[in-house]
Amino acid sequence: MYDQKKGCFAYTLIILKAGGYQLYGFTAISTHNGWAMAIAGALIVFAGLLVLSAAISQLHKILMLLEKKDSDSKSNQKFPEDDEPEDQKDKPVSPLPKEFPTDLDEIACIYKPLIDEIGETFYLSDLYEIARKNDFPHPHITFTAFRESEILVPCGDGVFSWNPPTENEDNDNG
Amino acid sequence: MDLLFQFLSNTGYYLADYRNVIMIVVGSVFLYLGTAKKYEPLLLVPIGFGILVGNIPFFKGFGLGIYENNSVLHYLYFGVTTGLYPSIVFLGLGAMTDFSSLLARPSLMLLGAAAQMGIFFTLLGALALGFLPKEAASIAIIGGADGPTSIFLTAKLAPHLIGPIAIAAYSYMALIPVIQPPIMRLLTSRKERLIRMPELRDVSKKERIIFPAVAVILCCFLAPASIPLLGTFFFGNFLKECGVADRLAQTARTSIIDTATILLGLTVGASTQGDVFLTPKSVAIFALGAVAFSIATASGVIFAKIMNLFLKEKINPLLGAAGVSAVPGSAREVHLVGQSEDPENFLLMHAMACNSSGVIGSAICAGILWSFMIVL
Repeated sequence: MYDQKKGCFAYTLIILKAGGYQLYGFTAISTHNGWAMAIAGALIVFAGLLVLSAAISQLHKILMLLEKKDSDSKSNQKFPEDDEPEDQKDKPVSPLPKEFPTDLDEIACIYKPLIDEIGETFYLSDLYEIARKNDFPHPHITFTAFRESEILVPCGDGVFSWNPPTENEDNDNG
Repeated sequence: MDLLFQFLSNTGYYLADYRNVIMIVVGSVFLYLGTAKKYEPLLLVPIGFGILVGNIPFFKGFGLGIYENNSVLHYLYFGVTTGLYPSIVFLGLGAMTDFSSLLARPSLMLLGAAAQMGIFFTLLGALALGFLPKEAASIAIIGGADGPTSIFLTAKLAPHLIGPIAIAAYSYMALIPVIQPPIMRLLTSRKERLIRMPELRDVSKKERIIFPAVAVILCCFLAPASIPLLGTFFFGNFLKECGVADRLAQTARTSIIDTATILLGLTVGASTQGDVFLTPKSVAIFALGAVAFSIATASGVIFAKIMNLFLKEKINPLLGAAGVSAVPGSAREVHLVGQSEDPENFLLMHAMACNSSGVIGSAICAGILWSFMIVL
């Protein structure tokens, strides 16, 4: 139903505006639809950021799920190099003796296959990694002992070379 | 002799008006604050120098002034009136922003939304003071504490107010260390300020790459009018994160944003010619800007306190003050206020999360207000 009182009021405001009269206070806010704009605007921006925050809070979970699915499908796929039996694949480079020796020269002999695996010069971190993979006990302490007895020789820039105990002795004699 | 008198009557000394002198003083203050006090120097120095340049009196009709067709300054000002510079600045901002902290704790985004309440309160205030709706919307966006957004919206809705609105927005951004801390302290107890935030989780590279794409779609579908700002903002961020366009990202966050900032600052400063700038409207805009900024800060802090009523793991309510989009000034201020109470409380990364969501929030608000005004 048309509200005559309201209609008259709005009409008067339009005339005032057309005549160059400025509106102030609550009248101005109501006339220009200010209340609705402020409330709607605040709600929209809140809703927008709420949706965005909800979306990004789930993002890492979705990614984790996808990655898991991806890794599952990869493990199910058969590649020629995967034909190797699982126990063969994880086989350590050097079988460890039941009792690990205490003599440094003997320990160096056990380390030799690892050195052959990673090359003549190597980073200490690589040797550490492969020693850990092969369950060598206390690699840190062993490396320190190797360095002190010049079995591990620094070549600069973090690179080391292997100087087996026999060669070491030769050097000392020479 | 006549020639000499004619020449003298055309000099700036002869044509000077008291309003030009006032504005030159204002420009000098900006330069002083920027260089000596190091308050937002990258903004205040170009603007301050622009004010000096724009207020040198000249013979009208020579094609010298920023408002005269075919003048060099007029062409440079084109980037402001079309909203070009703000878009370019947003591209660079995106290429600089790291959203890791926001991705690690997305709930802090709500503080960025809460701090936008200053915009809507100011909209009502400006309407009540007799400003027309388009002018009121342009003034209100000062509450977002984002210079480029304010300039962008004003250029679209009320170009005649660009000067005062830009100066007010940048002035209050520079005055963050003065305005925000008292409000933060007033609205929080010492116990609240001492709340420590947990360490943020590591965010994967994939998350950071996907975020800008998801955000641009969600935000711009909601408020398409914010595409010029958020489109470039998230594009810049994608360039940064994707890892295959480092050269472009590097250019966006250095040369491109620097060029846009220089031209934006200089021309906005030059647009404050005394006769255009010194009006009662400008005074009202400055007053409303201060109110907008204060309400924005307060609403962020209050909303953080409200969130604490429902959260098991309380958040430090100071973070709410970083919901305004003055990056990184307000985040730094939150961190400093937190550290003044407990030197081992590190709030910076959490505050940056609120700050970056404030940038998104204020750009969405600009889009919303622009859409509302199209309907009017």
